[in-house]
Amino acid sequence: MDLAFLPQAPAVSRLMLLGMLLLAALAAGEAVRRYAKVPRITGYVIIGALLGPEGAGLINGDALFEMRLLVDLAIGLVVFDLGRRLDMTWLRRNRWLVVGALAESVFCFWAIYAALSFFGFTPLLASIAAAIGTSTSPAVVILVSEELRSEGQVTERLMLFTAVNTVLAYLLLALLLPFLHLQHDVDWKTAVLHPAYVFAGAAAVGAIASMVLLRFARWLGKKPDRQFILQIAVVVITIGVAHSLKISVPVALVTLGLLARNTDSRHDLVPVPYGHGGQVFFLILFVLTGASLEFHLFGVATATAVAVFIVARFLGKAAALLTFGVASGIPKGGAGLLAIALLPLSGQAVVMVRDTVSLYPSFGRELAAIVLSAVAVLELVGPIATEFALRRAGEAHPEPAREAV
Amino acid sequence: MASEEQFTASAPLSLGVELELQLVKPHGWDLTRGAADLLGRLEKRKDLTGAVKPEITESMIELNSSVHGGSESLLGELRNMRSALLEEAGMLNLRICGGGAHPFHDWADRRIYPNERFNAVVERYGYLAKQFTVFGQHIHVGCESGDTAIFLTHMMTRYVPHFIALSASSPFYQGEDTSFHSSRLTAVNAFPLAGHIPFVLDWAEFIEYYSKMKDFGIVASMKDFYWDIRPKPEYGTIEVRVCDTPLTLRRAALLAAYAQALAARLLDDLSQVPVRAIYLVNSFNRFEASRFGFAGKLIDPRSGAKRTIAEDILATIVEIGPFATKLGSGPPLAELEALVRGGKTDSDWLRARRAAAGGSLADVVRSACQEWAD
Repeated sequence: MDLAFLPQAPAVSRLMLLGMLLLAALAAGEAVRRYAKVPRITGYVIIGALLGPEGAGLINGDALFEMRLLVDLAIGLVVFDLGRRLDMTWLRRNRWLVVGALAESVFCFWAIYAALSFFGFTPLLASIAAAIGTSTSPAVVILVSEELRSEGQVTERLMLFTAVNTVLAYLLLALLLPFLHLQHDVDWKTAVLHPAYVFAGAAAVGAIASMVLLRFARWLGKKPDRQFILQIAVVVITIGVAHSLKISVPVALVTLGLLARNTDSRHDLVPVPYGHGGQVFFLILFVLTGASLEFHLFGVATATAVAVFIVARFLGKAAALLTFGVASGIPKGGAGLLAIALLPLSGQAVVMVRDTVSLYPSFGRELAAIVLSAVAVLELVGPIATEFALRRAGEAHPEPAREAV
Repeated sequence: MASEEQFTASAPLSLGVELELQLVKPHGWDLTRGAADLLGRLEKRKDLTGAVKPEITESMIELNSSVHGGSESLLGELRNMRSALLEEAGMLNLRICGGGAHPFHDWADRRIYPNERFNAVVERYGYLAKQFTVFGQHIHVGCESGDTAIFLTHMMTRYVPHFIALSASSPFYQGEDTSFHSSRLTAVNAFPLAGHIPFVLDWAEFIEYYSKMKDFGIVASMKDFYWDIRPKPEYGTIEVRVCDTPLTLRRAALLAAYAQALAARLLDDLSQVPVRAIYLVNSFNRFEASRFGFAGKLIDPRSGAKRTIAEDILATIVEIGPFATKLGSGPPLAELEALVRGGKTDSDWLRARRAAAGGSLADVVRSACQEWAD
């Protein structure tokens, strides 16, 4: 008898792994929500860390690499959505908001830079770490506020400030890139042209994508289900193009979202919630973020630097908000809560660090130790901080979202 | 409260309005939670006349005008209040619009404005409280005595369908086209104390009724009557409460001018007394107006004649014309006439917007916000 129809053992396919990951994350998210009353995201990150290369090893480097596409898509959707929430008319009507948002990024950058310099890190390292630390995680703030059905001034500003600091973090990084190049004896033309290309190229790609999106949307008409597919398609294409042109993916996507929202003079785009389908992507995003956390970097030596990084980052944000918050119309007590809500550090920091590492490995290792350890801490604490702040501000909906009938 | 049983006289035919307004967010154009923050900012403005108050849910605010002699100065004040409101709302990324109901919000998403009175309403009425996130215009007309107020309340009831058709602006509810011109009234009808005043003929008789209702424990104050028209003894007015909040301040002022001129006409000829038949035809007429707008049928309670609401309004405009002229409301009345001849309610406008927007209700709200701000 020929038994060739039986599978060759062992046969844990990628699909099985993915399915099991989803189940495990689902359970973890539900468990932390029920028993610890913290955001589901934190559960996803924990399960990712437990099953990742530094834990049980079920998700190894290959798996991480292969699922990269899903992560890119999830982040892409979130960053695009964030850009779309950036309402320029609000900024025009409330100038203090512009001041506040810029100050939030600038103060935060300087606080981290000054603190790390004080503790003896080189100016270049301190400034690159500071640039990365400036950004808040778009995925965390959007998903936590959606889970809480949060509405109000702190929530609105949380989105706005996150969008601004995400863009500024990339801009700061681009501006610092020449110094990194020059330190490694690259000629000045490359040093200047490279960041200009990364940034301007991304903006151009985002702008072109937004035109394509709006044209197509006009032709489709205001049908949410059709436009949902259209938006995903354009986001995916933008990510793909940005990758192959080696330009900044998030800057391209924020630009896409921002222009799609603010140049849509005929209001052709309709709002499309990502719904249940989107949740799957976001769950995978956080599991894989958890899996890529690098706890082994976390030693006694780095612990101090990480603590300095996190505290300085928070103080920088808080100082800016307490200074300019009231003028921009934050309700009483809201400024401090907003600073807390802005704590989550973007998982994108991992990518930023990897990019730097790939350019200059020896420099990158030192940077990685600090930033990636901070990411590890803040991925776990950040969502909890954001949830705390939104609840405390009275903006979380008092009742949980309606269950299906 | 003894004060409620005492009717505070006010200048006859003086005028004031309350407008309940929608607070929406530009990201998706759904209703949003913004009343407390907006009111907090408005409190600090020294230039704001009238008053802005919270309403049952956090997506609503109520704008109260001061007392006016005529609709022109009323409109002036409303416009000043609007500029202040838009300025502060702009700081908070909120948008404001008129309209009797939000076209697609989910009532279950609403949050009750945190204060004692509203919490008591939720305690009593359950889901009706959140369902009550609908937006009306109330018109106050000053009366010199309680007896006049009772008289006017009955006499004005015949014209309730006029106010419904002239203000109708809630064609959509919970994401659906209701086929009504005013779907908001259906939300009001659900309350046990909705409807109309009983057939009492003077203030003393009314207070007797009110005291009984209080003794039964059915009402605690006159606020508990959700009638289409009710006397408001503290202000010394009758309050017409059937109107949807129109899409524009201009329309709100036109409605006030109409109510004022109509009251002047009714008070001019006291030989016409209230008849019970008003309340026999009332529900029919009221339904016709909210369902069909100007095209609805109206039965005259005295003659039994049936004609369209548009015809009845046009005839009334002719009848009250001289009184309007005396009150300085000639031009507003002419504008109303043109409007009725055009035959389009605000609900027709909203439906047209939707058709032009390829079916998008979010777009309808956006247009309504623009319309209110212009």
